[in-house]
Amino acid sequence: MEKNLFEWISFLLQEYGQYFWQGTIVTVVISVLGTFLGFAGGFLIGIVQSTPVHDDDSSMKKIFYGFAKKLASVYIHIFRGTPMMVQAMTIYYGLRQNGVNITPFMAAIAVIMLNTGAYMAETVRGGIMSIEKGQFEGGMALGMSHFTIMFSVVLPQALKNITPEMGNLFITNLKMTSVLNVIGIAELYFVTKTAANTYYRYFESFLITGVIYFILCAIASWVLNIVEKKLEGDKDYELAAEYISE
Amino acid sequence: MAVIKVEHLSKKFGNHEVLKDIDFKIDQGEVVCVIGSSGSGKSTLLRCINLLEKKTSGNIFFLDEEIGGNQKQINQYRSKVGMVFQSFNLFNNMTVLENCMSGSIKVLKRSEEDAHNLAIKFLKKVGMAPYIHAKPSQLSGGQKQRVAIARALTMEPEVLLFDEPTSALDPEMVGDVLNVMKGLADEGLTMIIVTHEMAFARDVSTRTIFMDQGVIAENDVPSKLFSNPDNSRTKEFLTRFMLG
Repeated sequence: MEKNLFEWISFLLQEYGQYFWQGTIVTVVISVLGTFLGFAGGFLIGIVQSTPVHDDDSSMKKIFYGFAKKLASVYIHIFRGTPMMVQAMTIYYGLRQNGVNITPFMAAIAVIMLNTGAYMAETVRGGIMSIEKGQFEGGMALGMSHFTIMFSVVLPQALKNITPEMGNLFITNLKMTSVLNVIGIAELYFVTKTAANTYYRYFESFLITGVIYFILCAIASWVLNIVEKKLEGDKDYELAAEYISE
Repeated sequence: MAVIKVEHLSKKFGNHEVLKDIDFKIDQGEVVCVIGSSGSGKSTLLRCINLLEKKTSGNIFFLDEEIGGNQKQINQYRSKVGMVFQSFNLFNNMTVLENCMSGSIKVLKRSEEDAHNLAIKFLKKVGMAPYIHAKPSQLSGGQKQRVAIARALTMEPEVLLFDEPTSALDPEMVGDVLNVMKGLADEGLTMIIVTHEMAFARDVSTRTIFMDQGVIAENDVPSKLFSNPDNSRTKEFLTRFMLG
């Protein structure tokens, strides 16, 4: 007798449950690692790009920042301007064919990192630009250096403003890892294809995977919500009773 | 010895000359109010003194030493010259207490304890000590400005610059801030105050400067400047102000 939809799903889960599970783990691990490395890189580039260079700065500084900003802009254009799947193929096979023994896992993390970094750099730059000039001037008037102002005043505020966008990037990455099956990494999409091919049950297999992706994204949104609330801080404050004079 | 001395200061934004050959000095303990209509260059003058604007030409001296040099020297100079802004510019990510400790710790490298004690001392002076746990967004304009003054005072500056400190405040808050400033004047703090509060300038300043179209039109004791100005533009301005 022909199995119905639910029977197929439970059959596939029995047969391939462990593969789906492993694929999910791989997807989560490469998304999380790639995204966070990308965030770090993006912050670095965004900060460099928003460092002002004045006419009377030393020529060393001018050359360094001039070069770094150009380089950053080229990098951003390349990674935003090409599909992630193509980047994966180029980086993975480009390195393999030239004797660099990179694993699909490493290549996958590198591709996600480089992609996220490119988007993140612009997000951070925008976040920094969105902070009113007065915050910089308040710090300057106290004699703070540019980097002190950046790290203790501007970035904490910018970070809060760009958290939703960072969440977007992470969720996009969770889903975009599926294209990395082209370099043979056993993430969720890759294992689904394998399962589907064995019994020719494409619909059922991908329905399972769709649900898994959906749950992953839902969990990510939930966590991000909590983080946003944390960064928002308390709505109330307590008066310091010891300093209230009669 | 003058705390601040300005010689032949000029500032251009493109072709527009905002400050033209400005000369003035302020001695220790003096309270100089700078008045004049909008666009006369008052704020730009203040911002040039603290190097937030780059002068086009001229010289500015702090305790007989020309200001400028590399970024480190500039930062060091700024730490000795306090500034209070029209828009407060408190750090939005910090509490009142953290705002008042940040300069002490990050710039003057004071210990946490010293920074805390100084912050409390000056917050008490401006009547804001009970609010140490509040964030700037939870305060009214007048409260923010008093915290900003306390923050500037924690640096124990040689001179304090005020850039229209009450212009962004609701009328009923202006008094609180002016009272704090008057208290500082009475204690002998050297101050340069750009303001539209004529009564305050007349009663508190030791000298008043009237600026008009980028030049110092008149620089005199307030008793003279407000009652019997030499310059016809000063007279015109004051008349308009009293009517307005």
